[in-house]
Amino acid sequence: MQTDETSDEAGGFHDGAALTALDPRQRTVLRVRFAVALLIPVIAVAALDIGPIRETPVPQGLAPAVMALLALIGVIVLPGRRYRAWGYRESADELFIRHGLFQRVTTVIPFGRVQHIDISQGPVERSCGVATLSLHTAGTRSAEVSLPGLTRTDAERMRDRIRAQIRQDLL
Amino acid sequence: MSDSLAVSSRLHPATLIARWLRIVPQMLIGGIGIAASGAERGLDRFAMFAGVAMGIGALFVVLAWWRFTFTVGDGEVVIEKGIVQRQRRVIPFDRIQDIAIEQRLLARLFGTAKVKLETGGSASDEGSLDMVGLDEAEALRDRIRRGKALAPHAVEDAVSAEPITEPVLFAMELPRVLVAGLFNFSLVFLAAIGAVIQYLDQFNLIEWSDWVTPERADQAAHLVTIRIVIGFVFIVLLLGLVAGVVRMVMTNFGFRLTRAEAGLRRKRGLFTLTEVVIPLRRTQVALIESGPVGRLFGWYALSFQTLGADRKEGGVQAAAPFARMAELLPILAEAGFPAPPPRGEFHGPPRRALLRQAAPWLLLVMLAGGVAIWIEPWAGVGAVALLVAFVFAVLRWRRHAHALDGRALFVSHGFFKRRLWILPFEKTQAIRLSRGPVQRGLRLASLLIDTPGASAMHNQAIVDLDAREAETLAGRLLALFYRARAATRLQPS
Repeated sequence: MQTDETSDEAGGFHDGAALTALDPRQRTVLRVRFAVALLIPVIAVAALDIGPIRETPVPQGLAPAVMALLALIGVIVLPGRRYRAWGYRESADELFIRHGLFQRVTTVIPFGRVQHIDISQGPVERSCGVATLSLHTAGTRSAEVSLPGLTRTDAERMRDRIRAQIRQDLL
Repeated sequence: MSDSLAVSSRLHPATLIARWLRIVPQMLIGGIGIAASGAERGLDRFAMFAGVAMGIGALFVVLAWWRFTFTVGDGEVVIEKGIVQRQRRVIPFDRIQDIAIEQRLLARLFGTAKVKLETGGSASDEGSLDMVGLDEAEALRDRIRRGKALAPHAVEDAVSAEPITEPVLFAMELPRVLVAGLFNFSLVFLAAIGAVIQYLDQFNLIEWSDWVTPERADQAAHLVTIRIVIGFVFIVLLLGLVAGVVRMVMTNFGFRLTRAEAGLRRKRGLFTLTEVVIPLRRTQVALIESGPVGRLFGWYALSFQTLGADRKEGGVQAAAPFARMAELLPILAEAGFPAPPPRGEFHGPPRRALLRQAAPWLLLVMLAGGVAIWIEPWAGVGAVALLVAFVFAVLRWRRHAHALDGRALFVSHGFFKRRLWILPFEKTQAIRLSRGPVQRGLRLASLLIDTPGASAMHNQAIVDLDAREAETLAGRLLALFYRARAATRLQPS
């Protein structure tokens, strides 16, 4: 745990608070997901290029090329920035999670409030060796808070720690 | 009858009729679809389908009734159901949070009731006995209550197992309900009617422009239009008023809120009688609401958000739908909530929050104004509407505020319809601080204390605080949450 306990009252809510970064392999996961998502518009534009765009004076192959270039730039630039927007901090009694590139959200969940915990691994995550930890609370807006990009062992260690805390809280 | 509850019993036979009446229309609709899709259409064919549908429905209902049994045993309720796929559900008394008794019109005709055993789990119909005889329902409730009360950790409650009269916290007699109905005339309802009328009006206008010559239109403008407008306004007002009164009387007739052992017991209803216990242990947030007109006369509404409550009501239970502030405060105190502090102790968002909340409207006003002056005069109407939106945004900004006292966070929202949330520190589930792109530019942040059962539309977020202030407040609320939790654990209720 690389958490430093600041005496500041705002603690982990500080916009500049030092948070633990996700596993670097999560960058690859984000990149692959982003690339797959962008494949759809690229294919759509390519299909249009064979069809309706042919009727217009736009030279053939230009539209898909531009779209592919935009997608490529997106795939190179955005996943890294999104990766850097993520961060977490595991304190004695709670978990701070910060995420979001445009809407930056910091959520804190006291361990005593966790109803149940999931660890999930999609196919891309599995091949990269990372896992997502999901904390469920009885809340409404933050009823489920996910923390992706943890190593499997880290996720399991955190789950066991939080579970022990829940048991203490029930007593 | 109540002594024989230990053996497994079936639901009241009247259930057969009620279920059948409910299932047949659905099957008939399906039957009509099949009949209509067939090549030969005819009344006899339809009648045949109807007959078959009714027959199948009856068979199904009888089977389901026969295969549904419930047993109130030693400290637990066992429900067994399913025609083919059998399901056996055991609900221990300890897990039953509240027992709601509901009587719909049909149920009242048969002298039966629906008993809902709520356990705080996620499924909405965890233990629903629809329907049992009314006396049986009451016996069942008393038995479960007594069973709970005899549990070792609640010995003191055993004394109150005898049916004693519960102190009345709040009641509404018919005159009060009628007055409440007059104020219940809601803008949402008006908007719905307005939309329909606007649609009809548009329809008329299109016809007019095709039909009416200029001189005729001139006559019509004097004779018909004014009359129509007055008529419409009158009808709208009357409908809104009548609908409001009817709705209020239907739900809140004979409203009584009493102090039960574990919470607040609410009985109400004209045709559908409901009885619910709002368990105090699971009460999360108190909400005081007031409408623009009702507030002028000093009327407010109090409700509580509860954990795992009926999904239909969005986890919000009305405790006093139409009351004076002086009547609300004792209920709040009884439920363990602090009274809201005076308005002077509330803090609003900084002035620069207006740049985000109101300034965009002003920009649009100027844009529409420009269009109105140079291009299309009709855009002036849009400009006026946008100006109203701008003024409304400023007023909303002025009314939005929050305050802290020793036990809870208070958040107020809204200009016309005002909402004041009371969030006790120990009920926090998660704290969420968010900054959008515009907010980051203006050094603002929004803070949400997440609680169970909150409405998705009107949430208790503190919008557009100064970013530093929001960070500090979030940290403070977290610390207060731990302190309040530790305090409640030291002295369990």
